[in-house]
Amino acid sequence: MIAFLASLIFLSAGILFLALIRNRPPWARVVFLTSLTAGCVLSFISAVYSLVTQASFAFDGHWAWPWGEFYVGLDTLSAVFLLAVTILCFLAGLYGVGYLKEGCGPEKDLSGHFCLYLVLLLSLVLVVTARNAVLFLLAWEAMSVSSYFLITHYDDKEDVRQAGLLYLVATHVGTFCLWVMFILLGTRAGSMNFDQMTAAQFPLALSGVIFVLAILGFGVKAGFLPLHIWLPHAHPAAPSHVSAVLSGVMIKMGIYGIIRVIMLVKHFPEWCPMLLLGIGIISGVGGVLYALGQHEIKKLLAYHSIENIGIITLGLGTGLWAQLHQYQAIAAIGYAGALLHVFNHAMFKGLLFLSAGSVIRQTHTGEIDSLGGVMKYLPWTGVLFLIGSLAICGLPLFNGFISEWLVYRSLFEGLFSFPLEAVMLIGFAIIALALIGGLALMCFTKAFGAVFLGQARSPHALNLQENPRLMIAPMTLLAAICTWIGIFPNTMAAFCLKAAASISPAGKNVPDIENILRPMAGITLSLGLLTGLCFCLVLLRKMALRSLPVTRSETWGCGYRGSTPRMQYTASSFASPIVLLFREALCLRRSGSRPKQIFPERVHLASEVMDASEHFFWQRVYVWIREICSRLKIIQCGYAQMYVLYIFIFLFLILIWKVT
Amino acid sequence: MFSVILHVSFALFFSPLLLGVVAKTKAFFAGRWGPPLLQPWYDIVKLFRKGSVYSTTTTWVFKLTPVAVLATALLSCIFIPLGTLAPPVYFWGDALFFVYLYGLMRFFLIIGAWDTGSSFEGMGASREAAFSCLSEIILFMDLILLVMVSKSLVLCNMLNTSFFSSWASMGPVLILVVISFFLVLLVENARIPIDDPNTHLELTMVHEVMVLDHSGFDLGLILWGSAVKFFVLGSILISLFIPRHESFMAGMVFFMVGMALLALTVGVVESIMARLRLNSVPHLLTGGFVLALLGFIVILLKGM
Repeated sequence: MIAFLASLIFLSAGILFLALIRNRPPWARVVFLTSLTAGCVLSFISAVYSLVTQASFAFDGHWAWPWGEFYVGLDTLSAVFLLAVTILCFLAGLYGVGYLKEGCGPEKDLSGHFCLYLVLLLSLVLVVTARNAVLFLLAWEAMSVSSYFLITHYDDKEDVRQAGLLYLVATHVGTFCLWVMFILLGTRAGSMNFDQMTAAQFPLALSGVIFVLAILGFGVKAGFLPLHIWLPHAHPAAPSHVSAVLSGVMIKMGIYGIIRVIMLVKHFPEWCPMLLLGIGIISGVGGVLYALGQHEIKKLLAYHSIENIGIITLGLGTGLWAQLHQYQAIAAIGYAGALLHVFNHAMFKGLLFLSAGSVIRQTHTGEIDSLGGVMKYLPWTGVLFLIGSLAICGLPLFNGFISEWLVYRSLFEGLFSFPLEAVMLIGFAIIALALIGGLALMCFTKAFGAVFLGQARSPHALNLQENPRLMIAPMTLLAAICTWIGIFPNTMAAFCLKAAASISPAGKNVPDIENILRPMAGITLSLGLLTGLCFCLVLLRKMALRSLPVTRSETWGCGYRGSTPRMQYTASSFASPIVLLFREALCLRRSGSRPKQIFPERVHLASEVMDASEHFFWQRVYVWIREICSRLKIIQCGYAQMYVLYIFIFLFLILIWKVT
Repeated sequence: MFSVILHVSFALFFSPLLLGVVAKTKAFFAGRWGPPLLQPWYDIVKLFRKGSVYSTTTTWVFKLTPVAVLATALLSCIFIPLGTLAPPVYFWGDALFFVYLYGLMRFFLIIGAWDTGSSFEGMGASREAAFSCLSEIILFMDLILLVMVSKSLVLCNMLNTSFFSSWASMGPVLILVVISFFLVLLVENARIPIDDPNTHLELTMVHEVMVLDHSGFDLGLILWGSAVKFFVLGSILISLFIPRHESFMAGMVFFMVGMALLALTVGVVESIMARLRLNSVPHLLTGGFVLALLGFIVILLKGM
């Protein structure tokens, strides 16, 4: 606990220093790196300690604030999230120092950016450790505002400002729901501390209302499908290391919040897990379908975050269902799958955003169809992006498979334990997860293949230089973590299972963690065999090819010799079979025409996938709200005296309310 | 370790023969004598003795692809019973591992195709990815049905010989599983009516065009990998039919006969059907999914 508090102090000191330093870039960098390292390492140690010993700590700094207390604590659930936060923020921070170094030239002062990055980190740490609702909401707000400023780093661009504004509005709508939810919880429990809330009993109707508010409030942050519209705009707008943190850990705070609410309230109506499963299916399939239609790499990754949130939600939904019906083992597996996917997604999505950032930094474009052949110039970045892609597709050898395997397992075990109505939904969830897997594979073979392989489609992708070591090293570490969990999943899975077991109230049958972990040994063994087989085949191939003639030539063009890089298959064409199949759901818009005559003239064809919820639902809601607001304009007359009058009227009303 | 090697060599040895049976059947229907049964073997051996040509566009990804294809195909065979040979490795949830292993194989095949920068290969990769998305959901629906019938997540328990007794109670469901799984088998192994392995026009190919640029040793590895995949998926289907029996040899004989019959069926289907137009393949796959879904409904109605 001392280590944890010390890390908070280090981070706050770093923020203070950076806020004071102006125009001394080397100093700012040193202070930033020191504070980041100290804060992350200390928090990391305390999180690991908490997970290993399974002890929970709490610190209550009494604080004179109505209902608020500086009350922080660390239990296994917080520790899993804290682990993801510290690892990713530390590595992305290191990367960011390298990423921004040349990108903005020596004259621009970065102390503001570094300071805000530390504010974001500190608030993330506080969000997962706060044990008081007011402190939680303060940290939540600090997180939202600091990330707004980080997103609008390149604020000279119009679309970046727009994206930032959209994010700010969306996140505050969410925060509003959270205030209402915590007030409901607090008034019932008689205190804003989480301890008292856990002890309190909530009637089912109230817990249903709380659950819906939590889904709305936390769902905006997490990016559940109809609430996600800020996400695909904000992530591409931000600098890559910030996108990595946003997508890797910040949106997971929504998931953390939902799990925390599940822990606080414990008993929910039947439809709540159904709702979670439904959201999981829609977000998962919708996210990956939209991702498939994207032409910009960071936007594609942003939509994939929605997909992964869907997978996590499927795990949560199964866990909650099992918890409500006293299947403790399935609940533990479902929650553990969700938690492990939270951690894994932080790792591989961080890796993907950082390596995409490396490409963008060199090529100055994120348009997939104008890249190609980048692997030849950026070999390291290419390998790292490949590892990230394999992991996000949930393929064996990397960590994504382990968590998806756990989620699958909870769903399949639900099949033969749950009642009929749940089995039907769970069957659909399994099919959805299978579809997500196939589509994600298509999407990432598209992204990796079109960007890194083949030949350059435009001059952007020619004559590049590999990025500095300061950027490669953090990514390598992330890739190493992905592979480690993929091959030796036991440690991390055990941590997640411990945390998962603490979510559901201890019933009669405590899940047997050893038993759940046993098949993991089979996975390790099989992967060992796979590597062994690959090794043997590579050796065989080497030996055989030594004595055989090997020549190099151009790609076989089926007899046609005049091919150019522009004749390569494009990413959009690659995705088109599926995009066309789902064109109604994706609102595919095409403009331009196809070539017509025998000797066709120059034609132009553009296709775009429209986000249905943004263009057909929220757009209408905005218009509606604007109309209401324009009617309310009469109150805003522009005279300060009138406004003072309003204040007095309001005070008077409060007085009456208090007196009566 | 010994059993792993036995399993792997069994699959390695017999898988090309299966393709030989298919070719023989097709030749019979065409009124020809056809290539010898061992022709796929001769092809592989011939390829292993040839040098390779690599495109200047390609990177190491292209060279890794054949290795990854054969390695994943071989690893997949250790989870399934081959006749009376029990699988050497099994664990709770290995069915999912098995399916995702094929995902790994497909991933490498597709990026290998991207690596050449050829538009033909890109086209084939795109089709392969799209069709297998759809076939994967049929596969998972079948998996759900088998899991619900056998109450196990271990692949060999889902397929093992005592499973035959469930034909009595779950016959209709299993028939639907067999039909839809046969469709998956055709899609995954690029057979007619989804894909024609013998077409001469690159534009119409799916699977074959993805490996257009591989040559010599590498092509041999890929062909062998595809044969093993056909063998493994086929033996899943045959394992569903193997009755309970006592002796080792009888089971093996039954298994081999079953596999030959399967190859014969595939050959007959290939001979009497034409390849579907590309845009009607999703319709066929949707049909397969509907069949599997029907099985799910039946199993729910029967009260599991």
